[in-house]
Amino acid sequence: MSSAIQAEGLSKRYGDTLALDSLDLTVAEGEVYGYLGPNGAGKTTTIRLLLGLHRPSAGRAEVFGIDAWRDPVSAHRRLAYVAGEPFLWPALTSAETFEFMATLHGGADVIYRDLLIERFKLDTEKKVRALSKGNRQKVQLVAALASRADLLILDEPTSGLDPLMEMAFRESVHEAKERGQTVFLSSHILSEVEALCDRVGILREGRLVDEGTLDALRHLSAHTVEITFEDEPPELGPLAGVEVTRAGARALRCEVSGPIGPLIAALANARVVALTSREPSLEEIFLHHYDHGSSGSG
Amino acid sequence: MAAARAIARRAFADGRARTASFALLFGLVALVQVTGYEHSFPTLKDRLDFAHSFGDNKAVRLFYGVPHDLLSVGGYVSWRVGGILTIFAAMWGLLAAVRALRTEEEAGRQELVLAGAVRRGTAFVAPMVAVAAGVVVLWTAALAGLLVGGLAAGESAYLALATVSPALVFVGLGALASQLAASRRVALEIGTAALGLALALRIVADTTSSLEFLRWVTPLGWSEEMRAFTGSQPGVLVLPLLASVALLVVAAAIARGRDVGSGLIATRDSRAPRLGLLSSATAQALRGERGSLAGWLVGIGFFAVVFGLLSDTFATAHLSAAIKEELKKLGGATIVTPSGALGFYFLFFVLAIGLFCCAQIAALRREESDQRLETLLSLPVGRVRWLGGRLALAVLGSVALALAAGLLAWAGAATQGVGVSLPDMLGAGANCLPAALLFLAIGMLAFAVVPRASAGITYGLVSVAFVWELFGALLDVPAWTLDLSPFHHVGLVPAQPFKATAAAVMLALAAAAALGAIRIFRRRDVVGA
Repeated sequence: MSSAIQAEGLSKRYGDTLALDSLDLTVAEGEVYGYLGPNGAGKTTTIRLLLGLHRPSAGRAEVFGIDAWRDPVSAHRRLAYVAGEPFLWPALTSAETFEFMATLHGGADVIYRDLLIERFKLDTEKKVRALSKGNRQKVQLVAALASRADLLILDEPTSGLDPLMEMAFRESVHEAKERGQTVFLSSHILSEVEALCDRVGILREGRLVDEGTLDALRHLSAHTVEITFEDEPPELGPLAGVEVTRAGARALRCEVSGPIGPLIAALANARVVALTSREPSLEEIFLHHYDHGSSGSG
Repeated sequence: MAAARAIARRAFADGRARTASFALLFGLVALVQVTGYEHSFPTLKDRLDFAHSFGDNKAVRLFYGVPHDLLSVGGYVSWRVGGILTIFAAMWGLLAAVRALRTEEEAGRQELVLAGAVRRGTAFVAPMVAVAAGVVVLWTAALAGLLVGGLAAGESAYLALATVSPALVFVGLGALASQLAASRRVALEIGTAALGLALALRIVADTTSSLEFLRWVTPLGWSEEMRAFTGSQPGVLVLPLLASVALLVVAAAIARGRDVGSGLIATRDSRAPRLGLLSSATAQALRGERGSLAGWLVGIGFFAVVFGLLSDTFATAHLSAAIKEELKKLGGATIVTPSGALGFYFLFFVLAIGLFCCAQIAALRREESDQRLETLLSLPVGRVRWLGGRLALAVLGSVALALAAGLLAWAGAATQGVGVSLPDMLGAGANCLPAALLFLAIGMLAFAVVPRASAGITYGLVSVAFVWELFGALLDVPAWTLDLSPFHHVGLVPAQPFKATAAAVMLALAAAAALGAIRIFRRRDVVGA
């Protein structure tokens, strides 16, 4: 399968700040890719480079094999972009904005657009300057989704949306995926990424620190095992790859980063009432990378 | 009180670049008038000749108002400084008030301020105090220019006060317009229309003896009636003060009673879609700019008609050798013929169209700083096509303004039986273009290289080049410094022949600058605010 996005050694420096440090990234066609990172990690910088709005200091970015900086117009024919802050034309109504953006894009799926307008509950006769931030965000989203572009680049698209609209957004992304569209979703809302994305990349201070499918990321991280005992928990002693903490009067929480066998063996003679094991949430994975980063060991 | 001080300081700092450049202009113009007059008319005979030929000339009154004493330095300076700088003072007052009130509110910063422990009254008064401090700066600059020129301190202080007095009124008007309109743009449109009206009333009053009383209904006329150096009437100062206070009180009352972010004029926010002019980025830019283009057409058209009507008034004047010498320095046209007068007037259209080009550069930059450009360029719109389209719009707008000026000046002259041909006058209009387009191209180059400073640089260049062309000649500065100004290379068509070589050089430079701008813009990052 060919790739929708390909970045090699992509770097961007603004004055003294290295905003993006040698990013290698491949997003396959038809994939929904979650791009995670705290504020200021370089997510928007990456997107500006992918769109050819800023010029790479080093490396290159390609969209469907087209160089993003050298031939942005050809690349943009195949993608649609939703910015984190909705900057539109205040004097145009939503309907006029849709028409304008569709004309520039070279067409839109008008039937689907009407469905989206209904779904996102937009008043299309209102001028953009009279819309709230959330509603302006919806205008951007509808315009991008209705373009039916092969690639959707979404920069924190749900900031400003209420929970109902967030659900409408998820539904729309699922539809896009079913149609074979590629989605590049930059976000720091982890539940959203967890619900939508096939693969996830975690960005910290301009570097991609982890990447993979959610399953793979989970396997690499610690499982959490919670054990409740009949009475006082036993002393488990040092176990390789297991970190034990007290979780109440009769319970222990164990972070298991290797095989689970040694823990089970150590529990063989204990009077266990209940044992739950769960995979780490994306939030835990994310915090794991972030904490390690801030303490200097990541 | 601490909050009020912080707000006032912030507002003053926001406007300091504009205040500084206006202050420089005020100081220079004041100084140049003093030294220029002493240099050009050293003897009483020269001054009598000058007064005799120009005192009653309507065309001269149109620009500078009614002279009351042309035999003394103070009387001459009072007339000239009053004529020019009062308009700039009014403009400054309008821009400063709208910037301090409506721009802040439209950007949402006023909301932030009012969310703090700040009363509505404070949020209105504190920025106005900062603007008042700016008026004091302008007054000081004008006074300094007059004093350095060697005029008496007391009278100079009074003349400087008369000169900045329209600023007070227009600060009030700008504050009121900021309450009426919900956007900076509409507030400035209201204020500009008021300034246009004030200027038109002053011109009518100064050129039509039966309508002289109209001078008493325009702030620019009040400034004239204060008559610094020519029998002062300090009591007139009450008028601008009262008007200013009244406007500010009304504005403050409205500001107290309305929702933050709104204006008193209801704006319709919903309408059925209008799909005209959305077929390309350039078409949509025209859709956004057509209102302001219409405003420019009306303004330039008005002055073109007036210039046409007044084009034969010099023919009846008796000019001395000294006057002819001075006029020669201003481009060498024989201003005594109607076509000579028109040729001289059209130099002002070079300025006006140059300023239109500045406004286009400012609009380009605003599109980028508001990040609408980012939205546009993330669609399949090429940078070259976008910038090329905006360039084409600016050029076509300039051409439309130039031809309208020619056509309407011809029409005005024709009603007076003045024999200039339509093709000649269209030529005079077109003759404005090379210099104006050179400014446009330099502005584009600035936009490509230093986007954040581009509008300021372009406005600054046009103003300095024009002031230098108008007044530099009076100072006997080295010729090459005058040659630096594109205005110096504009032939005063229709009286003088079209300077084909100079025009070709300016157009070639403009083309080179525009191409360079496009090349550089292709390679730079898109930068927001």
